[in-house]
Amino acid sequence: MNIPRKLKLLAFGACLAAAALPASAEEYPKFDYMPGKELAIPHVSGDAKFSNTYQYWKDEKALEDAKKSGKMSHEMNYKDFRWAVKSFDAEGAIDIGRGYYNEKNAKGQSCASCHGAEGKKLKGIYANYPAYNKRLKRVVTVPTQIKACATERLGFDWKENTRQNTLIDFFVGSLSDGKVVKIDATSPGPIKASYERGRDLFFKRGGHFNFACASCHTPPAAGKYLRGQRPTTFFGDAAQYPIYHFPYSLPGDDFEYVFTLQHQIKSCQILSRIYPGEEGSPAMTDIEVFLKASANGYKMSVPVAEYNMDTSYLD
Amino acid sequence: MKFGFKQRYLPLLVLAGSLTVGAIAPSSAEEAPKWVPGEQYPRELLKNFPCHDYDLPCGKMTSPPVERVEFKGPLKGDAERGEKIATNLRWGNCIACHALPKHEGGSIGPSLKGYAHREMPLDYTYQRLWDVRFYNPNAFMPVYGPNKVLTDQDIQDVMAFLYTK
Ligand code: HEC
Ligand code: HEC
Repeated sequence: MNIPRKLKLLAFGACLAAAALPASAEEYPKFDYMPGKELAIPHVSGDAKFSNTYQYWKDEKALEDAKKSGKMSHEMNYKDFRWAVKSFDAEGAIDIGRGYYNEKNAKGQSCASCHGAEGKKLKGIYANYPAYNKRLKRVVTVPTQIKACATERLGFDWKENTRQNTLIDFFVGSLSDGKVVKIDATSPGPIKASYERGRDLFFKRGGHFNFACASCHTPPAAGKYLRGQRPTTFFGDAAQYPIYHFPYSLPGDDFEYVFTLQHQIKSCQILSRIYPGEEGSPAMTDIEVFLKASANGYKMSVPVAEYNMDTSYLD
Repeated sequence: MKFGFKQRYLPLLVLAGSLTVGAIAPSSAEEAPKWVPGEQYPRELLKNFPCHDYDLPCGKMTSPPVERVEFKGPLKGDAERGEKIATNLRWGNCIACHALPKHEGGSIGPSLKGYAHREMPLDYTYQRLWDVRFYNPNAFMPVYGPNKVLTDQDIQDVMAFLYTK
């Protein structure tokens, strides 16, 4: 049975027509989801319902004990390597970001004009982003906020997926190192709605392989080997973004190996052959809210290195 | 009005089956970029599958319907070509999730070393490779057949590789 996809869609349309259901044509389509959506909660402890490894990595002490008792990386859901070691290699990239933060426009203004030398007024904010921006009337990630400031106030064309934006994001992220992630995704409001949409997107199947993000980031795939790669559950990791991704970058990147969370999501979409979203778009922002809120209660750790040393798997 | 899984797909399968006879190809196929297996999948083509966006048409697409296929042997495959397909990252890429005969691999799926000796029915393996969802709607394998990741011949070649004793 080898018929073109378009024909099948036509056939589907024909079925609906034949069954005389004009109303259902207008309905939002019924997507296929991976199981587990209902179990997701906006807190890092929610991992217990998915991987049963949370007890090994919930804090420094637990992690140390687990390592001492000889737990293997995969038995700890691959959450074992980030906290222990800061990435000094990343300092250079942060410095470049700091440089852009201080870059003056023709009128002599820079990010520092409003947010203070060394990002003084931005300390700790990263742990509470994405957030709702009342003026823009939408939920924004830090990169989108940087874009808004740069284009509207400074006249710099620093969109989400640019070198300047990404490196400033890294600098700003580093100012929240050690702060506990806190995104309120349970009180009614735009963040909760965004979390729920993002969760749906995360579990929704799509792309050439008909995979969802959850295909790889929930058990039984999470914690196993995907050839050389090691997918882990979606809890906690967002607290380590932006991340130093050396030696791996997407073709065309000029970001000093820094990945924002938006960039990581896009990278995974490409990897799993889902049409990549535009960084900062409403849907991509929703996915980030979902991931970041899944790190609630976990300490930010920036800069750390991505463990992946294999550049060959990307498609 | 809501349909259950079976109700939704059953009439479709019947209809789709009756269409194969004519073997009609869409005329716009020439203009679209073509994927050469083993090379990077063209990004433009990904728009033909469900995506994460609220504005693009792909954001409203749904997964392809489950396809029940029957395999009426004999198996006519080229095991050597099958091995290439199974181990190539940008083709079948079975190795990402499975250990294979003669190859180590990922651990997400069960090891397929010695698969030939398990004497699994050809029909079972063919269906699993064409559309795994027939056995388990939550399965983790790509839907190789319906989304044209692999052709009928590709799958037979991979099977010839798996069934080599
Ligand atoms: C085919 C498997 C697969 C799919 C599908 C997939 N990922 Fe991943 N993902 C991985 C692997 C493997 C890694 C770790 C290696 C890497 O890329 O650095 C990873 C890493 C990540 C990370 C970083 C985790 C960390 O270790 O810090 C995030 C966040 C992420 N993925 C989100 C997503 C999102 C969102 C989607 C859906 C768009 C998705 N993934 C789909 C395999 C996948
Ligand atoms: C993304 C992961 C993934 C990929 C890629 C993949 N598989 Fe699988 N496979 C699985 C999983 C997981 C199972 C276990 C059952 C299930 O979930 O469907 C499985 C089961 C199987 C089985 C049944 C084994 C048994 O004991 O009955 C066969 C045969 C198989 N796969 C062959 C292949 C071949 C051949 C390819 C490549 C053309 C392939 N798989 C690609 C994940 C994968």
